[in-house]
Amino acid sequence: MKKLSLVLMTLMATMFAGQSFAGDWSKIRIATEGAYAPWNFTDSSGKLVGFELDLAADLCKRMNAECEIVGQAWDGIIPALQAGKYDAIMAGMSITDKRKKVITFSRDYAATPARFVVSDKSAMASFKTGVDAMNLTEVDAKEKAAIDDIVATFKGKTVGVQTATTHENFLREYLGNDVTIRTYDTQENLDLDLQAGRVDTALASMSYWVPLFESDKGKGMMMVGPGMTGGPFGSGVGVGIRQKNQDLADMFSKAIDGAIADGTISKLAIKWFGFDASSKQ
Amino acid sequence: MDFSLLGFGDDGWGDEMLRGAVMTMAVAICSYLLGIVVGVLFASLKLSRLVVLRYVADFYTTIVRGIPELLVIYLVFFGGGALLRTIASGLFGYDGYIDLPLFITGMLCIGLSAGAFSTEVIRGAVLAVPAGQIEAAKAIGMSTAKRFWRVLVPQVARFALPGLGNVWQLTLKETSLISVIGLVEIMRSAAVASGSTKEPFTFYLLAAFLYLGLTSISNRGFLRAEAWASKGVRYS
Repeated sequence: MKKLSLVLMTLMATMFAGQSFAGDWSKIRIATEGAYAPWNFTDSSGKLVGFELDLAADLCKRMNAECEIVGQAWDGIIPALQAGKYDAIMAGMSITDKRKKVITFSRDYAATPARFVVSDKSAMASFKTGVDAMNLTEVDAKEKAAIDDIVATFKGKTVGVQTATTHENFLREYLGNDVTIRTYDTQENLDLDLQAGRVDTALASMSYWVPLFESDKGKGMMMVGPGMTGGPFGSGVGVGIRQKNQDLADMFSKAIDGAIADGTISKLAIKWFGFDASSKQ
Repeated sequence: MDFSLLGFGDDGWGDEMLRGAVMTMAVAICSYLLGIVVGVLFASLKLSRLVVLRYVADFYTTIVRGIPELLVIYLVFFGGGALLRTIASGLFGYDGYIDLPLFITGMLCIGLSAGAFSTEVIRGAVLAVPAGQIEAAKAIGMSTAKRFWRVLVPQVARFALPGLGNVWQLTLKETSLISVIGLVEIMRSAAVASGSTKEPFTFYLLAAFLYLGLTSISNRGFLRAEAWASKGVRYS
């Protein structure tokens, strides 16, 4: 059985590798998840909407390309890119070293800090560290103390996180030995368990929490601790592209540069997230 | 629960969910029919006198029943399109983008697995027909075709129907797995609606009721079919 699947995998891998893709990008197929509000989701008439849909439309105009947006479940969104089902992914996907081993990215277009969320009745509700925001790529003494604070505060607790995210990577790397990590296939399932008290805290992007807290679904929950970026959280969110299509990645990067420079992205971010989550030049 | 979300038209998700249910039924029926055809074919291979054919059928049922359905879906979804493009560029020199339609991909995946299970059900049903009956039919001079249609088929149908009813229920529920390839059936509609409204309870509960409705209605259908197939049998 193992042998067979190995043969199948190899067969598929060679087929993928053997494919050639033309460098004509007048038509681009972009995949999104369609279920990750406000980044990309579906309105009640069945239309895909959200920050990334608006952004994609803008970037495609800048690239003079005709874009087709396809909905694809998050599981397998990278393998389907590899298999040539579409040419690019815009689905709130952070640029990480791990993902860079299999695909390439455009430059980042948004970067939103990760925050812990707890019930407002929890003992951790008043948790604060010496810093409000930190970049884990380079950690100074104050930030080191903040990390130790986080470890001490959450020691022995159960932390929920969406699976296969940079947030899960952070937990495994920094808190793996001290907390129980529970992973969820969707953020909604995690929210349900947080409200039910089955997890003590949840870690996710601020871009997810802020709109949630503005609706009544965020009732009884609050963000605590510092906003964290860099390190395991990657270098922002970018467009995922097959490694052999570096030319397309460069096209996207150039278009994103333009959209950052003229304020388009920060305008879209404020519209969808309620705060400026755009990347800086 | 917020029932206002379930309205029809552009303000509610009722029509999206209903369309998902129609898609689920369409995929389930097509896969099931494909599965029955495949099942009859492979059951006859399994009962064949030729060892090679028996091995071929054994290989198929062992593989498909032995690996998770989700893996079958990934293999067909990721491999199918690539295979198609390799063939297209290798044989016809066509380098554009072609792919199997999502519906066909889903139907193939679920149909393959339904086929493997039906194979075993039909094979068992054929073996359950007493050999003496076939011999008796031969003895009174029935032709092969007559033996098949008058003696074998009615009894195989009766023996196989309960098992095939189970295969149907499995098939119907397995269609939920193809939500991973982006085909908008009940599960994908529910996932999209709950991700977009942040009301997972409402939509997953509705999805559960939709599945329950579909399975219990079709279950009744199968019970009637079983009664019909057994009408010549008297239980003492």
